Amino acid sequence: MKEIVIISGKGGTGKTSLAASFAYLGGKDVVVADCDVDAADMHLLLEPDFKFPEDFFSGELAYIEQDRCIQCGKCEDVCRFDAITHNNLKFIVDLISCEGCGYCARVCPANAIINIKPNVGKWYISTIKTGSIMVHARLGIGAGNSGKLVAKVKNKAKEIAEDEFKEFIIVDGSPGIGCPVVSSLSGASFVVLVTEPSVSGFHDLKRVYELVHKFKIRTACIINKVDLNFSITAEIEEFLEEEKILLIGKLPYNEDFTAAMTYGQTIVEYSNGYLRDLVVNSWEKIKQALINIKYLK
Amino acid sequence: MKIAFTSKGTTWDSQIDPRFGRTAFFLIFDEEKNELSHYSNLDSIDVAHGAGPKTAQKLFELYPDVLITGNGPGENAAKVIEKTSIRIITGAADLTVKEAYDKYKKNEF
Repeated sequence: MKEIVIISGKGGTGKTSLAASFAYLGGKDVVVADCDVDAADMHLLLEPDFKFPEDFFSGELAYIEQDRCIQCGKCEDVCRFDAITHNNLKFIVDLISCEGCGYCARVCPANAIINIKPNVGKWYISTIKTGSIMVHARLGIGAGNSGKLVAKVKNKAKEIAEDEFKEFIIVDGSPGIGCPVVSSLSGASFVVLVTEPSVSGFHDLKRVYELVHKFKIRTACIINKVDLNFSITAEIEEFLEEEKILLIGKLPYNEDFTAAMTYGQTIVEYSNGYLRDLVVNSWEKIKQALINIKYLK
Repeated sequence: MKIAFTSKGTTWDSQIDPRFGRTAFFLIFDEEKNELSHYSNLDSIDVAHGAGPKTAQKLFELYPDVLITGNGPGENAAKVIEKTSIRIITGAADLTVKEAYDKYKKNEF
């Protein structure tokens, strides 16, 4: 079983559209994990049924036990996030402002404050339109993605893939280079970087690759919208060659990307021409590269 | 030599956990004593952020000579371990602890 993680660094490069297309092409051989939990939108393309939801508890929040509170106000004084206010001698924690640092609990002379792990959202095991399983999550307002949630989603997907003898796990990775991305990459067998030839696209590609490189994971790259800027495309290609990153696809700017999204379809369902062929070809190259890795071992 | 493994279980037949920061367990094999011991990493798995450095701290306390794992610690955890003499060996993701140990003894990593 191989875990393929698709990341981009920069948003809007087509990462999710491509990840969903690969998930569609992989059909019954794949389990899908949507780890882009902050802006999860893979479900728009893959139609999961949200069948098995489970609450997710994470982070820290101060909680005041009202019957123990002696209304001294020390908690309000020390809170650096102005998260504690009082109203008629009742002290309340503003759940959005509280960072869970625990300072209030430390100074409370009545031991009336404890830190709790709040319910920040739900995660799901769903069946998608290809009949495969997708593990994904939905966060509440104000809640942020975390390495913990990504690990949870990925580990569940892995468990299912192992139980059902699936060949691939396709992970729609988190954006940026922070904790959730580290967690997305951890334990992966193969990484696909999706980029575009813009200054920020190239810049973020390099940044995220630095991270991938630390993990020593075999890496491939797809340059989307190559015709936006041919000279940056050439620079990206040069970078890929230097770093020995496999270039597995160059896609032109194509409005089918957005049109497919509007219809809630993956590119390979919506487009039946040249663009579809290119995406199919990239998927074949990923599979081939995975076979080669096995062979090399 | 003390050899540490990131693992999903507590025996020689357990799979290597390919993750570092959120590995389920550390298994430590003390070659002199011929003794395999395990340490749960549940408290690191449970933190929202910063699991890597927290796990690195734990590894530091166990202080093995070698760590065998999947694809290695991320940047922050790696920075901590670099300051120690612990040698990190990656690439054991698909193996059991026993297989990883044998491979290490044969110098095949």
